[in-house]
Amino acid sequence: MTLGSARTPLRSLLLTGLGILAVAPLLLLLITSISRSWFWPALLPVPSADSWAALIAGTSGGRLSGAALNSLALALATGLLASALSLPLGRALAGLRGWRRSLGAGAAFLPVAAPPIALGIGLQFTFLTLGLGGSFMGVLLAHLVPALGYATLYFLGVFAVYDDRLEDEARTLGASPTQVFRRVTLPRLGRPLLEAALLGFLVSWAQVPLTILVGQGLVPTLAVEVLGLVQSGQDALAATGSLLLIIPAIFMLMAAALAIRRVEAVPV
Amino acid sequence: MTRHPALRLDGLEVRFGDRPGLAPLSFAVKRGERLAVVGTSGAGKSSLLRTIAGLQPHGAGSVFIEGRDCTDLPPEGRGSVYLHQTPLLFPHLNVSGNVAFPLRVRKLPRAVIQRRVRDVLHALGVADLAARTPASLSGGQRHRVALARAIAAQPPVLLLDEPLASLDPPLRAEARDAILNATNDYAPAVILVTHDLAEAGWLADRIGVILDGRLAQLTSPDILFTRPVSPAVASFVGFSNRLDGIIDDGGIFRAGPLALPLPTNFNGPAVLLFRPEAVRVTGEGSLQARVLDVHFAPGTVRLHLRLNELEFQAECTLPSSRAISGGIVAFELDPQHLVLFPAST
Repeated sequence: MTLGSARTPLRSLLLTGLGILAVAPLLLLLITSISRSWFWPALLPVPSADSWAALIAGTSGGRLSGAALNSLALALATGLLASALSLPLGRALAGLRGWRRSLGAGAAFLPVAAPPIALGIGLQFTFLTLGLGGSFMGVLLAHLVPALGYATLYFLGVFAVYDDRLEDEARTLGASPTQVFRRVTLPRLGRPLLEAALLGFLVSWAQVPLTILVGQGLVPTLAVEVLGLVQSGQDALAATGSLLLIIPAIFMLMAAALAIRRVEAVPV
Repeated sequence: MTRHPALRLDGLEVRFGDRPGLAPLSFAVKRGERLAVVGTSGAGKSSLLRTIAGLQPHGAGSVFIEGRDCTDLPPEGRGSVYLHQTPLLFPHLNVSGNVAFPLRVRKLPRAVIQRRVRDVLHALGVADLAARTPASLSGGQRHRVALARAIAAQPPVLLLDEPLASLDPPLRAEARDAILNATNDYAPAVILVTHDLAEAGWLADRIGVILDGRLAQLTSPDILFTRPVSPAVASFVGFSNRLDGIIDDGGIFRAGPLALPLPTNFNGPAVLLFRPEAVRVTGEGSLQARVLDVHFAPGTVRLHLRLNELEFQAECTLPSSRAISGGIVAFELDPQHLVLFPAST
C-alpha cells in the first residue's frame, strides 16, 4: 500500500465530516422553519408553514421582510462603496515603501482585527457626536469601516503583483489617464472589483454588533432581527430568518461567480 | 512631413529614480532612421527610452518631437510609442481590439479604424489572428501584434525596448524582419535599445554606445565596429584582446617580443586592441605562441594563446593540428582589425 492510497480513506472521512458539518445546521434550520413543534418522543416534527406564511403575509414576520430589505440595501451599498473606495486605497498603499506601507497596511488591518464590539463602541461615540446615531447612513458608514479594511487589504495584495507597464504602454499609445482607467485598468480589475464588492456585501450582511450599537435599534436588519427572535424563543421564525440570511449570501456568491466568469479572469 | 528631425534631444539628463543618471544627451534622429542604443545591463538604456516617452521624470534638457518641445508633455501628447521588451497586449481585447486601441482613444471614425486595423494586420502578416485572444498567441505572434498596434498609431517616434530579447533565436529573425518591413512603410524614427551588438548592427542605421553613464560614441555600425573612439568602446564592441606597449620613434608598436609597424600619429605608451578574429593562426611564421586552452563553439574554435608574458584570444574556423592545449601555433595579426590608442585615453 502506498502512502497516497493510505491517505485516501482518511481524506474521504475528513471531507465527509466537513460536508456533514456544513449541511447539518442548514438541514436543521430548514426542518425547524417548517415545523410547529418537535418534542420527544415524536419521531418527526409536526409540519407547519406558519413562519413562511407569516413572512409572506407580512404579519408576524413582516418585521423580517422589512429587515431583510434593509439588510439588502445596506449590504449592496457597503459592497459597492467598499469596492470602489478600496481600489484607489489599495493601489496607493501598494505604491508606498518601507514604514509608510506598513503603517498604511496596519491602519487597514485595524478595523478587521479589532473586536466588532470594541469597534462599535468607538464608532458609536463618534457617530452620536456627528448626529448619525440611529440612522441608515450611520449604520452604512459603520459597516463600511470593517468592509473597507478587508477590501483594502485585498486590493493591497492585488496591486502588490499588479503589472502597470500595460498602463504605461497605453499612455504612449495615446490614451489619457481617464481613458487608461476606463479602457485598461477597469477591465483588468473587473474580477478583483467584483470579489471586493462581494466581500463588503458579506461583511455588512452578517453584521450585528455595529448595527446594534450605531443603529440603536432604529435600523432593523435581518441579522439583528433573527437574534431577537432567538432570544424570545420563536424558533420557527428564527430559523426562517436564518435561512433568509443564508440564501441571499449563497445567491450573491453564485452571481459573483457567474459574473467573474463573464469578465474572463483577466490576469493582473 | 516637417523639416525638423523626428526626435531631437537637447542636453537631456536621464535620471535613475532619485539618483543622477546619464550625462546630458544631445542627438537627433530623422524620420525613417533607426538608431540603436547599446550598453551593458543597467547602463540606463531603458531609462533613456522611458524618459523620451515621458514615462519617468527627467533632469535638465529638452525633448523635441518633430520640432515641438515635448519635454513637459504627458506620454499621450508626445507622439512617441514605447514598446516594452515583453510584448504587452491588453488581455481583455482580441487582436483586432488591441490594434484598434490607439485609434479608438483618438476617437477616429469607425470606418477609418477598421480600414487601418485591416491594413496593419495584413502588413504584419497577422490578419488571420484578428479574432484571437492574446492568451492564445505564441511569443512571436504576440510580438507582431504589439508591433502592429504601435504601427497603427503611426507615431513619428517609435521606441523599442530590447525588441528581440524575449524571443527564441528562430523567432528573432522573423521579428527582426517584421520591424524592418513595418517601419520601412511609414518611416518613423526608431530608437531601439539592446545589449546585442549583432541585433543593433542588423537593425540600425546608427548605433549609440552608452558607457560609464554617458554616450561614448554615436556613429554608423561600420565605423563603430572598425574604428571605436576609445579603448572602453573598443572593448565593448568586441576588441577583447588588449596589449599594453609603446610606440617608438619609428612608429613601431612594441609589446614584449611583438613589434608591429602600424600607421599612427603619436608615440609613447600605447594600448593595442584587437578582436580574436584578427589573430590568424597560420601553418608557419615568425610569431609563435603556446596554446593554453581550446574552446569549441559551433563553426569556430577559440584559442587562448600566450606569447612570453602576453596573453590573448584567437578565433579561427579551421584549427591547425597543433591547436591543442600545450601546442605551439604560428600566427599573424591582421592590421585591418587592430585599433591603437595612447595609453592615457
